[in-house]
Amino acid sequence: MADADEDAVRGTAVEATQIETDLSDETQDFRLLNHLNFLTDTSSSSLPRRGEKDFEPNPTLLQADVLSSSRQAMHNALAHPRLHNPKNQVIAIYAPDGPGTSASPPHASSQISLNSSPPSSTKEQNTVKPPGRGAMVSPDACVYVPNPKGQYFKSMGQADRKGVVWLLPEEALYLLERGSLNIRWPASITGGSTSSGPDEPGAQSSEDDDDLSIPMSLQAAYTCLIGRGGLTLERFAVFSSLKRIGYAIVRAPGWNDSRTADDSSDTHDSPNAYTQPLLRGAGLAGIFGRIFKWINDPRCTSSLAAGPVIGYGIHRSYADIYQKLALIPWYDPTLTPQRDPLDTTAPFRIIFHVYKPSTPIKKTALPTPDFRIAVINTREHDSIPTLDQLGALLESTPLDVPRGEKMERHLYMRLRHGYRNVIMVVVDQGVTSFLRVADAAFGKERIYEAANAPMGAKKGGNYRKKKR
Amino acid sequence: MLTYFSELKGGYATIERPELAWSLSGNPLEKNCAEDSLDRTCQTRVTSSHCSRLLAMARETDMQPSHLKATMSAIESAAGYPLEAGKSHPPRAARAPRPPRPNYRNIHRFPLPVNVHHVPSVIPHNPLSIISVALSYLTFLVSPPHQKVYSACFDSATSSVHVTDEKTIRALWEMGFFGKGSLSRSEPNWLEQEKKRRGLMGGSTVEEATRKRRAERRQLKLERARHEKLAVEERLRVEAAARESGSQSGLHVVEAADSTATPAERFSVKKAMEARFLERRQQAMQNREAASSSDQQQSLGDLTNSPSSPSANSQSLPVSEHTDHILDDDLDLDTIENEEHLQLSNEETFFLVYALGALSIVDRASNAIIPTPALFDLLRRHSYYPRRPENRPLEVDDPFMISYVVYHHFRSLGWVVRSGVKFGTDYLLYNRGPVFSHAEFAVIIIPSYSHQFWSSTEALKRHAADKQSRSWWWLHCVNRVQAQVKKSLVICYVDIPPPSEVAADVGGQLNRYRVREFLLRRWVPNRTRD
Repeated sequence: MADADEDAVRGTAVEATQIETDLSDETQDFRLLNHLNFLTDTSSSSLPRRGEKDFEPNPTLLQADVLSSSRQAMHNALAHPRLHNPKNQVIAIYAPDGPGTSASPPHASSQISLNSSPPSSTKEQNTVKPPGRGAMVSPDACVYVPNPKGQYFKSMGQADRKGVVWLLPEEALYLLERGSLNIRWPASITGGSTSSGPDEPGAQSSEDDDDLSIPMSLQAAYTCLIGRGGLTLERFAVFSSLKRIGYAIVRAPGWNDSRTADDSSDTHDSPNAYTQPLLRGAGLAGIFGRIFKWINDPRCTSSLAAGPVIGYGIHRSYADIYQKLALIPWYDPTLTPQRDPLDTTAPFRIIFHVYKPSTPIKKTALPTPDFRIAVINTREHDSIPTLDQLGALLESTPLDVPRGEKMERHLYMRLRHGYRNVIMVVVDQGVTSFLRVADAAFGKERIYEAANAPMGAKKGGNYRKKKR
Repeated sequence: MLTYFSELKGGYATIERPELAWSLSGNPLEKNCAEDSLDRTCQTRVTSSHCSRLLAMARETDMQPSHLKATMSAIESAAGYPLEAGKSHPPRAARAPRPPRPNYRNIHRFPLPVNVHHVPSVIPHNPLSIISVALSYLTFLVSPPHQKVYSACFDSATSSVHVTDEKTIRALWEMGFFGKGSLSRSEPNWLEQEKKRRGLMGGSTVEEATRKRRAERRQLKLERARHEKLAVEERLRVEAAARESGSQSGLHVVEAADSTATPAERFSVKKAMEARFLERRQQAMQNREAASSSDQQQSLGDLTNSPSSPSANSQSLPVSEHTDHILDDDLDLDTIENEEHLQLSNEETFFLVYALGALSIVDRASNAIIPTPALFDLLRRHSYYPRRPENRPLEVDDPFMISYVVYHHFRSLGWVVRSGVKFGTDYLLYNRGPVFSHAEFAVIIIPSYSHQFWSSTEALKRHAADKQSRSWWWLHCVNRVQAQVKKSLVICYVDIPPPSEVAADVGGQLNRYRVREFLLRRWVPNRTRD
């Protein structure tokens, strides 16, 4: 109920201004960091207060000192060592070759030797390979967790048949960033272990392996994982920012840019989605309608060429006039069938399905997503989408008709909700803006027929009927 | 800031119409409405709580009836409205009441400047209904209702249409909110404004209210700047003194920097506004008390008749002084000549002429009516800057075509479409009209070249890319402005057809353009978590 919230909040002017002055948008007063409890001590319990803003530089020492102390506070906070309790960390192992056959433990591969391919060729096959032995594991996954425990694997990771959880690069990086994961280099790279393949999850004593394997640094993890299987820094920024707030995110079918629809039948640009106002009178009903109109309108002088569209005759009602005025074909979102999500142009396609924290998720049977997200890097695509691109993006989402008692009553809410919607995330060199785009069918709302036009007090365009 | 403005100016419709850029059309009753209501609620809350407390006190102490009456009158005068014992009235504003609003519902009861004649419907089982229908037809036959066709003239220099006839101006404004007064913000009310300015009429116009509010705000900002300057000077002096006194200055300054006490006391516009409001209210209360005490000596009955005691803010207007002159200056009314005319934008003009047939455009030079196809051609040529000469052909994607298609589309759906220059958009959509409610939607128009004709050659491809590309920054800017003014942003794509080989009439040409709207707004992930 995004709309309901929005509408409730938009009610008063004071609250509405609070929305737009988002605290995260402002430059922060870093001196507040000095007052944070974890930096100093736990005894101080007062909330930090914001000072007043200086709008322009002045030559006082005071301002210079405030500035330098603020800067120092920021540096202090940044320099503060991030310590994570190793007890809360889960050990994971980096598998550069992905969850293909080579990554499977040796004893397992010996059991199903037919399936195994030489490890050298797996790298090339990584992208085109159908999902490996664990039917659920994506070929892009490259970090596996032998002993998954903890809450994070409820919405992340895919278990193969052996019970080993495979993590996608963004998931592994996110967990590593928040200090919950300890990624180890595989023995194949470090050469520390006796076995030639990546180390075995359950067969050997894992404690020995843990001691022997080398932990991966954050820098190394970024180097190894970003750019892997279509993961860009922009996509990771969106993933981690939403994940941090509590959303659950899974990759959508459109993740891979190079994938296109199987049947490239050009069904888009079909004009049937647009209403054809001038042709609507066809058929028997149209003829009868015309006769009736003729009787009703004896001096019909309507002319599309030169004269007035509505004609000089006697007009019965304004609704009639408006109907005659409908000349321009408009797009009706309910007439188009849902498009294949892959039948879209690359950046303007849905790559993430997002679930609210309250939505119960089962990894094996995912519910319909609450939000669908497309990520656009403005440095590569510097202009806003064309009608084709945006239209295709929206058509690839299912119809989400404005329904509900509130929507029935409020015209503006209905229009704002739209018939399909998608969230476009525009990343401009690290600055992320979320935009909700909806297919608003203005043509579906005939406000000339509605009697409940707004009257009375003008309050922020948000009309509410007065109770008498 | 600079980029921001340039981005805004790059807005599609603004550049092509220089005559509209200088004066912003739109909504007459903007902010002051909200401010007033805020003031009012504050005041009523205070007074009603006062009253209830006093009443409770009276009941507790079990006063004599005469005493009670006296206190009641005191309360009444303080609250500004009569009270009945033990029963609280609906709270009313304590300040002088505003002049009643005109009955907009009646004034603007016709959505378009076209006459409509309802015919009673035929009810099969009631033969009388047939008679009434026949009768109405007969009357139409005998005396056919006359559809008024207004006239206006086209001004080539400003590429807009001028309406000078008083009746036509009122008709076009009242029925459908077409055009804007050339000397007013939106509604052509310059004459009224001028009369009020000269003290010939009571009340104040919205323009005056805005001007006053702006002046006040500017004053406050200047005051703030002065305070800040003083504070800086003071600070510099202290620092200089500290430097003189020696080495402990560093210590002193660091200490100051760490404490948040000093900046907290600084001057802010918000605080100043609050302070001013409180002061004004106190003054009003005092005035009222004084008035009531003097009135009490006269009689109790008079009190209830005059709830509006002289309030503090009425003194700021010179109107009250001039009210005496109204009768004397009746002759003066005729001496002021209306120097204002109504400006119609090209889209509005063409809609009135072509779609409704309610307007005819007269050529200034020849004084002849311009036929619709010629007018269409003329307006299209004027949508280029400089004007496209006659010998050069017109294009399918000329600015007038695109903007008219969108204008017609939204008008045909019943919206009142007005220019959105003041918010950096192409159009604003009002439900019923600007006097009823704020515009909820702001429309930006983007042409689209999705037909394969536009990707057939390299030159056409470049042309299309050039015309339809907008930067993300521009989009963010526009979106931000709309969020600030609480409007929903609508991106309206107009699909441009390929140029047609056969010459089509106006309707045929318009019918080939297709329109698709998208709604855009910021998504704040923190607020949709549930």
